Amino acid sequence: MAEYFFELLTEEIPAWMHDAAQANIRQQLTPVVEQLGGDPAAIRVNSTPRRLVFFVPNVRAREADREQEVKGPPKKAAYDAAGAPTKALEGFLRKNNATLQDVADAGEYVTIRRKVEGRAAGDIFRERVPQIIESIRWPKMMRWGRGEYSYIRPIHSVISMFDGQQLPITIFGVNSGSSTVGHRTLAPGRIEVKSFNDYVTKLELARVVVDATRRRHVMAERARILSMEVGGSPALDVSTWQQWQYLTEYPGIVRAEFRREYLALPEEVLVTVMRVHQKQLPIRKANSTLTNHFLAVLDNDADQDGNAAYGNSFVTNARFADAKFFYETDRRKPLEDRLEQLGHLQFQEKLGNYLDKTKRIEKIAAAICAEGGVDSAAALEAAHLCKTDLVTEMVKEFTDLQGKIGGIYAREEGKVEAVWQAIYDHYLPVNIDDELPRGTAGAVVSLADKIDTLAGFFSVGLKPTGSRDPFALRRAGQGVVQILLNRDGRQLRIGIDRLVEIAFEAQGQLPQAAAAAREDLLAFFAERVRTLLDVSRYGFAYDEIAAAMEAGWAFSLTDLVDRIEAVKAIRDETNFLSILDSAKRIQNIVAAHTATTVDASRLVHPTEKRLNELADTVNRQVAELIAERHYRDALRSFAAMAPELESFFRDVMVMVEDEAVRTNRMSLLRKVGGAVSRIADVTRIVVDRRDYRS
Amino acid sequence: MARVTFQSLILTLQQFWADRGCMIETPLDIEVGAGTMHPATFLRVLGPEPWNVGYVQPSRRPADGRYGDNPFRLGKHYQFQVVLKPSPLDVQETYLDSLRALGLDLTRHDIRFEEDNWESPTLGAWGVGWQIMLDGMEITQFTYFQQAGGIDLSPISAEITYGLERLTMFLSRQSSVFDIEWGAGFGYGPVRKQDEYEFSKYYFEVADVGLHWKLLDQYEGEARRCLDAKLVLPAYDWTLKCSHVFNTLDARGAISVTERVGVIKRVRDLAVGCAQQYLEARRNLGFPLLPESERAAALAEASR
Repeated sequence: MAEYFFELLTEEIPAWMHDAAQANIRQQLTPVVEQLGGDPAAIRVNSTPRRLVFFVPNVRAREADREQEVKGPPKKAAYDAAGAPTKALEGFLRKNNATLQDVADAGEYVTIRRKVEGRAAGDIFRERVPQIIESIRWPKMMRWGRGEYSYIRPIHSVISMFDGQQLPITIFGVNSGSSTVGHRTLAPGRIEVKSFNDYVTKLELARVVVDATRRRHVMAERARILSMEVGGSPALDVSTWQQWQYLTEYPGIVRAEFRREYLALPEEVLVTVMRVHQKQLPIRKANSTLTNHFLAVLDNDADQDGNAAYGNSFVTNARFADAKFFYETDRRKPLEDRLEQLGHLQFQEKLGNYLDKTKRIEKIAAAICAEGGVDSAAALEAAHLCKTDLVTEMVKEFTDLQGKIGGIYAREEGKVEAVWQAIYDHYLPVNIDDELPRGTAGAVVSLADKIDTLAGFFSVGLKPTGSRDPFALRRAGQGVVQILLNRDGRQLRIGIDRLVEIAFEAQGQLPQAAAAAREDLLAFFAERVRTLLDVSRYGFAYDEIAAAMEAGWAFSLTDLVDRIEAVKAIRDETNFLSILDSAKRIQNIVAAHTATTVDASRLVHPTEKRLNELADTVNRQVAELIAERHYRDALRSFAAMAPELESFFRDVMVMVEDEAVRTNRMSLLRKVGGAVSRIADVTRIVVDRRDYRS
Repeated sequence: MARVTFQSLILTLQQFWADRGCMIETPLDIEVGAGTMHPATFLRVLGPEPWNVGYVQPSRRPADGRYGDNPFRLGKHYQFQVVLKPSPLDVQETYLDSLRALGLDLTRHDIRFEEDNWESPTLGAWGVGWQIMLDGMEITQFTYFQQAGGIDLSPISAEITYGLERLTMFLSRQSSVFDIEWGAGFGYGPVRKQDEYEFSKYYFEVADVGLHWKLLDQYEGEARRCLDAKLVLPAYDWTLKCSHVFNTLDARGAISVTERVGVIKRVRDLAVGCAQQYLEARRNLGFPLLPESERAAALAEASR
């Protein structure tokens, strides 16, 4: 058995790109390893800031020989009337370097079988490795030097070794060799390596830990100890840890501190500065309050002279000094007094400034509360102030704290919890996994803000197209849907149709201009609803969603979900499958026919009379069940007509000469087929015929 | 480590890069926000001619002024700018050597290259690179220029921008920029604090908004006239003046969000025009900075 080992030495690759690149390499190596009889699970892919490394153990030195089948022309075309080979067959054989003896005697086509000798593993690696490495799709590529190549960063050297021997390859003009370098500053010399094990050991001595997981473990352990020394523990922040392991070759952590006075700043500000701006981790006490100590990554095992502690303290204190200045400046002016300033902050050219927007949010929030029977006091107070933090110094500096800062300032101004939390939370949910606003007031303000933005942008013709959505309108739309799907104490009983109407009213747009935009916005929401239900935890199938949406969705999303659940629950029941089939036949027969009133006196055949009576009974039942929102039972009741409907199709001819009879029968079918049209358009459900009628 | 002053830093860096084949240029005599806007960077990175240069550039950012009250923020700071074209493969190593030349023992400090890409909408330029962190503090911007004035670059230049005040503060262990020593016993604070105050006051409170809008129109018109007359270097001067007037209006809070986009576009259109015309002018001159042996091929390439 043989092994292959590869290193690409580059310049520092952005930390957030490593995981995807490793996965890509692994995925592309898998078929190569399988081809060589190796175990893909044994592939080791790793990276440091400036190295991509992989190791493939235990593969065959040569690919196994195999038989290959090549398909040629159809037999008819391969032999002439006399059974002699045609030009087509001769050409095929020539092309494949085969003779008539190689032709296998099976099927409609001429095929040849031949033995293919397995290639040497070295040849395969020489061919595939450059392709795999050069084809990694990095999120942002660059050129360098003479500019011939485009990659994540300039390439310095390549190691390619097969079974202890160099296996020469070339990557973007760089020829492979058997040497690399150690840590950039701690051990920058050249290192000759013989094998992967030799490489790992020598690099370790040259202060490079190749394995990212090990770097992370070392850092986690240091972080724990350093935090314990000051009576705390490090914040568990997955995204920071994921970055840290790719910011060092020689893993280390330094603990630094900021001046205690800054602890008086809002915690969100401190944490944002440390995490987002400095890639540092706060240390928290057991009761989870912040200490004035924090951790930073270090590309060295220790900070012998305290330089890194000094530098990190220096820069963090500087940022906090700025933040403190902003905080103190901001606190001198209550949020209420900032409304006037919002009048100078443009929201969108044609949609006015943020004071205009605030007024619209208030109007919409009031209407939502009235519609949903929710107490509006807290929501309206929050709506009034929700945008005022946009003109605070703090949000100008730390834009990702918008909303939160307003909430914190409102809290400090003594606003009640429902109000300050509503301000704090009103951008939520931003992402699909985000929490919803904590209270009803927050949900109302969030909804009002988002629907105002959507109605506004749509009414001035700025809707998202294709991949372009510069104003993140899809995200806003998704947020609206998420809030309206919620069913706990914060549930707001309002349909998207009504919400859209309210929002357009608040825009004060000309009705005719708004009509088209309203249609567009509803279509946009239909798409958002479909997407969200499709990917969310519900586990609905696409056709279930489509069927239920066809029966209406804009009046209530929770009702929509109930109906989809009902369809999902009974779609595999025998009667239902049978009636689905009939429903599709009905749809085909009566496509253009809409009447549902049947003249009982014109019914002649006993089967159609029975069906008509049954339909009346079922329709009554279904209507009652729908009124009580017992959709599942309603669908079952509908499905119970299946046997009678099948008899009808067997016994009764619909398309007869007599127009009156024909029309009447079509109406009957419409009546039957439409029984559950308020729940779902069942013809949209996809049925695999093998599922039933065994 | 010898006592570090603002000027000892400048002198060391100039000598260091001069020793490595850089021409030491002087600062541009027009207000700019960054050393990148100096024609020695923005224009020289265009086209096939090689270029290695280093220079100090006073950089005015009106909105960053803090009246001299903030120990870390300045309305005008100084950059040391290095451009190496084409970017050599050992440029990071050379950069680390420059830190060693400043007296840093890199085995006892933490140095990291963290992703930080650069984009200038007003110059139609962008690049890829890092912010270089020394003990957790950003001391240098490192950029591989990919595009300037909307033109794809080839060869690629490496741009290294040292923040001189920060570096001096850090190396001399001062916690306020106004406490560092400029040189020869002169303190940075006594030398510079007055202009930090006066220019903050001017840009934030006093600058005549009406006049600046008028200046913008006039400068832009003059830049256009220069472009029409195929005088790219004067055109570029006027473009930079537009850019500074824009920054002034911005600091003064006189530009709404929509206007902003519009003004940026006006300046960018000029910058793009300058870039195109500069390339053309260099071609007409026969790319004089190229070695003679390469000129014919480059001219053939450029006229394709």
